[in-house]
Amino acid sequence: MTRHMNKTDENFWEIGGKTLNSRLLIGSALYPSPANMEDAIKTSGAQIVTVALRRQAAGDKAGGDFWNIIKSLGIEVLPNTAGSHSAKEAITTAQMAREVFGTNWIKLEVIGDQYNLQPDPFETVKAAEVLIKDGFEVFPYTTDDLVVAKRLVDVGCKIIMPWGSMIGSGKGLMNPDNLKAIRKQFPELKLIIDAGIGKPSHATQAMELGYDGVLLNSAIALAHDPVKMADAFRYAVEAGRFGYESGTMQQREFASPSTPTIGTPFWHQYKD
Amino acid sequence: MIKISVNGEMKEIQEGLNVKEMIDVLKYKTKGFAVAVNTTFVAINTYENTIIKDGDMIDILAPVQGG
Repeated sequence: MTRHMNKTDENFWEIGGKTLNSRLLIGSALYPSPANMEDAIKTSGAQIVTVALRRQAAGDKAGGDFWNIIKSLGIEVLPNTAGSHSAKEAITTAQMAREVFGTNWIKLEVIGDQYNLQPDPFETVKAAEVLIKDGFEVFPYTTDDLVVAKRLVDVGCKIIMPWGSMIGSGKGLMNPDNLKAIRKQFPELKLIIDAGIGKPSHATQAMELGYDGVLLNSAIALAHDPVKMADAFRYAVEAGRFGYESGTMQQREFASPSTPTIGTPFWHQYKD
Repeated sequence: MIKISVNGEMKEIQEGLNVKEMIDVLKYKTKGFAVAVNTTFVAINTYENTIIKDGDMIDILAPVQGG
């Protein structure tokens, strides 16, 4: 059977009780305009979009046009707990998000350091345990630390989202070996690279490692042409996934010609 | 009158109001937001049973863009 790019109907996967065919998860922040955000999300083919909660000014129409655009897209919404610095704050934000957005999905984000926005593993595990018991499907943002992943699994997480590198840095995958180790240790877990992706090739690399999906925002929203970049990431994620499923060749320490050597003509017969 | 903090701003409201009444008084009229009192979530079906007290810290959150 021949597979072609864009033939995503053959590429269904399940996450959080939903069956989807795009493995790209996209953020809704930082776009030049709401219209540009809408175009980029549509072009990306993403079926999960991240959203957030912030203080509402008195008299404001709650959520405004932004939320109406997101609702009109008809795709899954993944609220985050961005801005939380403790398990308590994250839990409260998650409960508020469940009521506002009408979903039990939550991207659990508890920041432990304001300089590099590194997640706090201790508070993240604590919050994950409470939220899972409260019926949430937790998508925890974490580092590429295998032991933290184990602790999150211990408290019931079925999904883990290790960072590629710092949020918004665009540096790509800092520690591919760590990410490989998590993939190897948890073959049944849904693993999504979250944060640090800067270029389509980073997303391809993540998918080639066997990760189930990639979540990114800045790389698309901050591109000179976000809509075109959204298209690029759509292809990049598909390419990486197809590459992983195809089984890459083993690296070799020596050269090996691809053209047959039997029947090589002319020149080898002439010697000075 | 009691003093409360609403989304970081100090406000004065009548004593004895519940969350639903406070929202009306402060003109948070539309749906689509969620409320926390002193960093604890208050579900929409408990607004009328939750009385605002002097010094309470209220957060009223609405959807925004996120990554």
